[in-house]
Amino acid sequence: MNAPETQVKEIANASAPHGVGARRPLVDGVEKVTGTARYTADLPADNALVGLLLRSPYAHAELLEVDISEALALPGVRAVITGDECDMPYGVIPIAQNEFPLARDKVRYIGDPIAAVAAVDEATARLAISRIRLKVRELPAYFKAADARQADAVQLHEKKQGNIEREVHNEFGDVAAGFAAADLVREETYECAEVHHAMMEPNAALAAWDTERGHLTLWSVTQVPYYVHLTLARCMKMEAAHIRVIKPFSGGGFGHRTECLNFEVICGMLARAARGTVRLAQTREESFLAHRGRPESQMRIKLGLKRDGSITACQAEVVQRGGAYGGYGLVTILYAGALINGLYDIPAVKYDGYRVYTNTPACGAMRGHGTVTIRFAFESLLDSMAGELGLDQIAVRRRNLLKAPTETINGLRVTSYGLGECIDWVEDVSGWAARKGKLGGSGNVRKGLGMACSHFVSGSAKPVHWSGEPHAVIVLKLDFDAAVTILTGASDIGQGSSTVVTQIVAEVLGIDYHRIRVVANDSAVTPKDNGSYSSRVTYMVGNAALDAAENLKRLLVTAAARRLKVEESDVIWYGEAAAVASDPERHIPFAEIAEEALVGTGTLNVKGTFTCPPEFQGGKQRGGAVGSSMGFSYVAQAAEVSVDMDLGIVTVDKVWAAIDCGRAINPMAVEGQVQGAVWMGLGQTLCEETIYENGRHMVPNMLDYRVPTIVESPDIEVHIVESMDPNGPFGAKEASEGPLSGIMSAVAAAVEDATGLRVRALPISPPRVFAALQEARNEAAAAATNEEQA
Amino acid sequence: MKRILGLWINGRWREEAVAENALLLDYLRDGLGLTGTKQGCDGGECGACTVLVDSEPRLACSTLAHSLAGRRVETVEGLATDGNISPLQRAFHEKLGTQCGFCTPGMIMAAEGLLRKNPHPGRDEICGALAGNLCRCTGYVKIIESVEAAAGAST
Amino acid sequence: MSALPDFQLLRPTTAADAVAMRAANAASRYIAGGTDLLPNIRRGLAEPGVVIDLGGIAELAHIDFGTDALRIGAGTTLAAIAGDATIRARYTALAEAAEAVAGPTHRAAATLGGNLCLDTRCVYYNQSEFWRESNDYCMKLKGEGCRVAKKSKRCYAAFSGDVAPALIALAAEIEILGPKGSRRVASADFYRDDGMAWLTLAPDELLVGVHVPLHEGWTSAYEKVRVRGAIDFPLAGVAVALKRKGNAIDDLRIACTGVASRPLAVDGLAELKGKPLDAAALAVITAQTEIAAGAMRTTVVDMLYRRGVAPVLARRITERLWNSAA
Repeated sequence: MNAPETQVKEIANASAPHGVGARRPLVDGVEKVTGTARYTADLPADNALVGLLLRSPYAHAELLEVDISEALALPGVRAVITGDECDMPYGVIPIAQNEFPLARDKVRYIGDPIAAVAAVDEATARLAISRIRLKVRELPAYFKAADARQADAVQLHEKKQGNIEREVHNEFGDVAAGFAAADLVREETYECAEVHHAMMEPNAALAAWDTERGHLTLWSVTQVPYYVHLTLARCMKMEAAHIRVIKPFSGGGFGHRTECLNFEVICGMLARAARGTVRLAQTREESFLAHRGRPESQMRIKLGLKRDGSITACQAEVVQRGGAYGGYGLVTILYAGALINGLYDIPAVKYDGYRVYTNTPACGAMRGHGTVTIRFAFESLLDSMAGELGLDQIAVRRRNLLKAPTETINGLRVTSYGLGECIDWVEDVSGWAARKGKLGGSGNVRKGLGMACSHFVSGSAKPVHWSGEPHAVIVLKLDFDAAVTILTGASDIGQGSSTVVTQIVAEVLGIDYHRIRVVANDSAVTPKDNGSYSSRVTYMVGNAALDAAENLKRLLVTAAARRLKVEESDVIWYGEAAAVASDPERHIPFAEIAEEALVGTGTLNVKGTFTCPPEFQGGKQRGGAVGSSMGFSYVAQAAEVSVDMDLGIVTVDKVWAAIDCGRAINPMAVEGQVQGAVWMGLGQTLCEETIYENGRHMVPNMLDYRVPTIVESPDIEVHIVESMDPNGPFGAKEASEGPLSGIMSAVAAAVEDATGLRVRALPISPPRVFAALQEARNEAAAAATNEEQA
Repeated sequence: MKRILGLWINGRWREEAVAENALLLDYLRDGLGLTGTKQGCDGGECGACTVLVDSEPRLACSTLAHSLAGRRVETVEGLATDGNISPLQRAFHEKLGTQCGFCTPGMIMAAEGLLRKNPHPGRDEICGALAGNLCRCTGYVKIIESVEAAAGAST
Repeated sequence: MSALPDFQLLRPTTAADAVAMRAANAASRYIAGGTDLLPNIRRGLAEPGVVIDLGGIAELAHIDFGTDALRIGAGTTLAAIAGDATIRARYTALAEAAEAVAGPTHRAAATLGGNLCLDTRCVYYNQSEFWRESNDYCMKLKGEGCRVAKKSKRCYAAFSGDVAPALIALAAEIEILGPKGSRRVASADFYRDDGMAWLTLAPDELLVGVHVPLHEGWTSAYEKVRVRGAIDFPLAGVAVALKRKGNAIDDLRIACTGVASRPLAVDGLAELKGKPLDAAALAVITAQTEIAAGAMRTTVVDMLYRRGVAPVLARRITERLWNSAA
């Protein structure tokens, strides 16, 4: 092939290295650093009414009367609504819908919304809220799973004996035989406190009701505009066509916003009732009450190991305190069992899970959904047993690696698997062999090293709503201006999904980034997307973007051939230009190609789609479809800690995390996701904890709910292992959830390495460590005394 | 009750009637439409509202607008000059010091305050200056790297 | 956003004017840095009709090194105190305490006076109006009884300022201006053991400054225990001032914060004078600090932890000072 002329060469050079694999800044980063990015609370709406909620002061009560007459009579009050406004229960899982935007008949936690007001200003709204009179009959309330499970406990929801929301029982392989074949069998219990997402942006919604048309437009902070859209239509009994949902910039989600939340529906209902525009800005406290975090969990886990460290069987029981409503709860309890598998080669797993309703804010999806607490238990026990067998913790993990491609006993298909290389890197850079157990310390400070592994799905292969549509759709618009506009419903919540799809499109088309724009999350404009959860976006939407870009490129190559009057096979595609292979002097710029492509047809809207093939949607056996995904990320990480033996304070000095995320479409963004995930896990490990007293949230603020500060946060060094998934876009898999769930047990192991104490409950907070160290000292002293006496 | 308040906002003198009980945060966001300054908590706990007052970082949510009469307030919208984003903004952009972006304006203003006093801070000084600013996305690693890059420091 | 309730804002330029304005407005509150009061107003913990902004009073924001004492005006910011090289060298505990407060942005605004007068804190009190109303309030505001100790007739809200124990350990005096003139009081006596009325300051008085005596031969330090490396209030904070003479303790003062409704001096240390800091002396320090650190359930962090770590800090800081003074 002849070389094209210089100008084309320059174009080719400029466009070559900046697509997939490039360390690109975020496509919407400039807006973020200049303050021009508008989040929901920033949207101008000068005439918007102020919305406010009346929340339940009772943990569990029958609502006998909600008298709003006095509130309605106040001048400046435009609407007061109650549970009467909506009799359609909602919930993200179609078979578990039991929540109303405003409580009807019953309130089930302190903070449950009862009524809402729209008024001309905040003071009026506040006054109106104070004039609403309640009559209730209080009911027994339960704040711990064990209490709610009592046979005679009052049921939060009908037909839920023992307040069990969902029980899961399954066994894959022969567990009894597995334990019989083991050289060492141990059973242990672990406990994790409930934690919250604490995204930096408090919840907010803005709703505009168009009375003439009966149309509603809602702007919200959501990760799932599509589910919000469906829920608005359901609860407000409107046609979906009459609703428009827009997600502006969003200040994080981490799972808090992966289901429609009550304030979003309430805002829409208020706007309709007030026949105007309503802004519903939630306080930080209200975000804590909307919750949907990771539930308080008790794990009982039993493992069988051979002398060489190979796992023969696993049996686990998980109890989750689910809170007052279903939400994603049944997925959480199912995932906890299913994702015991898929990390190591385990021949037999028995799982019993119990999701329990309690009178606390509902739990839901949170980064690492379902896997985190069971992974803490599993890895912790594996570590302890390795110690008992005199085996190195890393060696035990190596012993149990999977060999891809393979299928786990519960039907998870593992097609790419770079865990071994992740472990190698972590072992090497942490100085494992030379330093584990030998860090010692000085003065009151002891140092230790620990490691653990984890994994996560790249999108659930089975969508929540089975509509028969593809899992993801992307539209590329090409018009007279020769700009390529990516239309996507994928929600960029800071993870960089708009950047990823842009890089994929840029890679395929080879065009300049300045030619590409992203328009996202406006139901009137962009294609439907299921939303940003379960790490599905890079994999599924990325594949749709790849498909769309390839479809567009085909049209463009055809157009270029036509304009150049050559066969398509004689076209060299440079992105910003196309040339004739046999005569490189002849070339045309992208604008001309675009012009040609529009001849006779006009504006091009080129679609790309992605659907998980049925064979990836899980085995036919009972429980087999849970957790199925087309690709799993794999992570190994090591943590080095210092423990203040007098104060019980654990400081994490350094974390090394290696991730197999397949092809890193943007390595810088992957690093950012891994660092963020590990760090968020560190918060749960060391200091974060929602605390309820008689159902009352004791820490609904950023002072007492302790998100780590920059001061005590360690350096997190990231290494990327590219296992090249056969089905991910360019080989990519997820990168932002898998790294979270290993850090708890890595730190627990490091604390044991430093102190000799194994902490089996999270958080590993100063009071907990202080008490454990004191107990150990007392025991040692007692033992010494006994020895003396003996 | 409203009273005339005169102060500098991003280099421009402003004089207008402002409620005596107005927080600087409300004045900036609701009064001036400068929504780059964020509210992330119910008061003084997260740092998202950090602005500069006479080059010192201040929490706009815990400051009365009238207490700043005659003083120089800078927000994230005021950092760009001649349409060019500042070195610190560029560093946060290019080094991925921002993810969701909600803490970013406060983070950048706190870092800006540091760099004006101390153009070449060490890592501890950076952490010290940003200790009151929470971020939930980055784990802070790339925020530190962004400030270091802006300061021309290398690790 | 919870908008603040309406209030009138006064901006005096002299301390005397401030006192006069306070006397003329019963429902007024002083504001300095605003980092404590404004979030509290937003939560409905204070509802002043008049707010007197002390920020415009230049005479309150001075640091003066006199021949026999250091005087710091109440309006001096904590950042200025922490950043003063002379204070750090001679009154280390004071600089360390100022630097331990919250985060840097708070310290740039927060003042010495504000930190000394910091409202007492309690997990049942520092909550929203909705929260407190749904919990039937408590005796500290609008309600009856104490949520911390059910049968208590008193309020146990904890004083959580960092600077006060440093001043107590340094034997500082507080300078107060009232309608009838100024007076001085020992820093420990500026407080009383009552979560609702923790200051001995009269309603018409204004804290204008502190005097810290010159400390030839003394060393001092402050440390606090908190879960995070910044922002948090002290779960327990301890200041120690030590004068070592050869191999003996010439004088030793220890004060705690975060563990009672007032910052308080640890008693019973006089017997250590003239003795070396040996195991017996450390045992006395531990035991005496344990007595002082009677933390109650005012935070979500276990009170036993707060009680337990105060003596650890006292012992640890004293040992460090002892060794560095050798």
